[in-house]
Amino acid sequence: MSDPFDALREPVVPVDPDPRFAARLRARIERALLDTRGTTMTTPTLPRQGDAGYVSLRVPDIERAAAFYGSAFGWRYAEPAAPRGRQVQGLGMPHGMWEDQETRSLFVCYHVDDVRAAVERVRAAGGRAEEPSREAYGLISGCTDDQGIPFAVYEDSGEDRPAATSRQGEVVYLTVEVPDASAARAFYGSVLGWEFTPGGVQDGWRVRVADSEARPMAAIWGGRERAAVVAMYAVDDIGAAVARVRAAGGTSTDPERMPYGVTAECRDDQGIPFQMGQLF
Amino acid sequence: MNLPAGVEPDPGAALLALYDAALPEVYGYLLSRCGQRALAEDLTAETFLAAVEATGKRPPPEVSTAWLVGVARHKLADHWRRTEREQRGLRVVHSRPEEHDDPWDERLDVMTAREVLTGLGPHHRGALILRYLDGLPVPEVAKLLGRTVHATEALLVRARKAFKDAYESKEGRDV
Repeated sequence: MSDPFDALREPVVPVDPDPRFAARLRARIERALLDTRGTTMTTPTLPRQGDAGYVSLRVPDIERAAAFYGSAFGWRYAEPAAPRGRQVQGLGMPHGMWEDQETRSLFVCYHVDDVRAAVERVRAAGGRAEEPSREAYGLISGCTDDQGIPFAVYEDSGEDRPAATSRQGEVVYLTVEVPDASAARAFYGSVLGWEFTPGGVQDGWRVRVADSEARPMAAIWGGRERAAVVAMYAVDDIGAAVARVRAAGGTSTDPERMPYGVTAECRDDQGIPFQMGQLF
Repeated sequence: MNLPAGVEPDPGAALLALYDAALPEVYGYLLSRCGQRALAEDLTAETFLAAVEATGKRPPPEVSTAWLVGVARHKLADHWRRTEREQRGLRVVHSRPEEHDDPWDERLDVMTAREVLTGLGPHHRGALILRYLDGLPVPEVAKLLGRTVHATEALLVRARKAFKDAYESKEGRDV
């Protein structure tokens, strides 16, 4: 049966706009092309597809976590917009906290060029992805990988982004800990375009984005009991930081010297693992 | 295009080279869908500036007239969404029972139909234009409007109903 609405079909008929408008727009395009080229060269910190652009710590008790990380790193928080959430102030990469009884992991939002296409890739790779929603900063979709780690893909406008730093409390390294590293490599490889080089530990893989280190640096670590993302936070003085973590009710190994800095393995007072690093 | 190994075509230059040929297509598309010259000019400018931004991304898009019309369609859908949001505050929202799409046997008079379309709310107008004027399948309409396929199907049912009511009352008034 034919649909009367089919009569509305209308192919595109070219129409010449006002020539003055056409000339003005051409000039704007030429200027914009110059600006874009200039920007790409002078601000290399814009996130690329596969870089983390926002992280949020999922914790069972938000008040406790705010107090703990406040004493460990000196974090201050913006006036909370929601009782279950906090935003850390003054970091290069935005860092939030969210109260959630189950996750106990760092929730990472990865920048992608096209959220809708990324959602398709997540689903094709065996993960789950919500329909993208439009937020003030752009399109975002909440996802879960095929080993149960929640994350998000979003389109980062790159606006008003402060330069990356390694000052105290800044995330300098992300470790995606999973039972099955080859499954994780396949998943994140196809979803985010990550590539890998063998890392320093058994079944550890350094993440490469666009032929260079991921920003912040990242790795996949296989053979772990539980799937979760663990952050390494920069600290100014590792000895003092370890003492602060212990005093605040957390646990920490003694500092250990690595090729890139002195680090410690910690847990906060709710049992969530993290690392600290005084980088060289 | 044959280029020596290691040399990538500059999509920005390709965009400028295409500008004169693509402009009437993009502008013609937008003008016929929104019906207002000033708005069509604004959206045309938005389209090309978004295209400039896209050419700076990696991997760069393949610049073509069809791609630019696709970008224009996104800008148009964004425009409807903005308008819809602004107007939503003014309307009294009351829930209606689920409406069913009843088959409608009518040969549409295209001129009247275009007039009716202009008079509909932006969300109804947008859904019908993308679905019927552009002839896009429902899932693509859903993507452009940022809705689920299910919600878009429901929206199309309501939009067709609104269109039909407006069309019939116009016909009735004209006779």
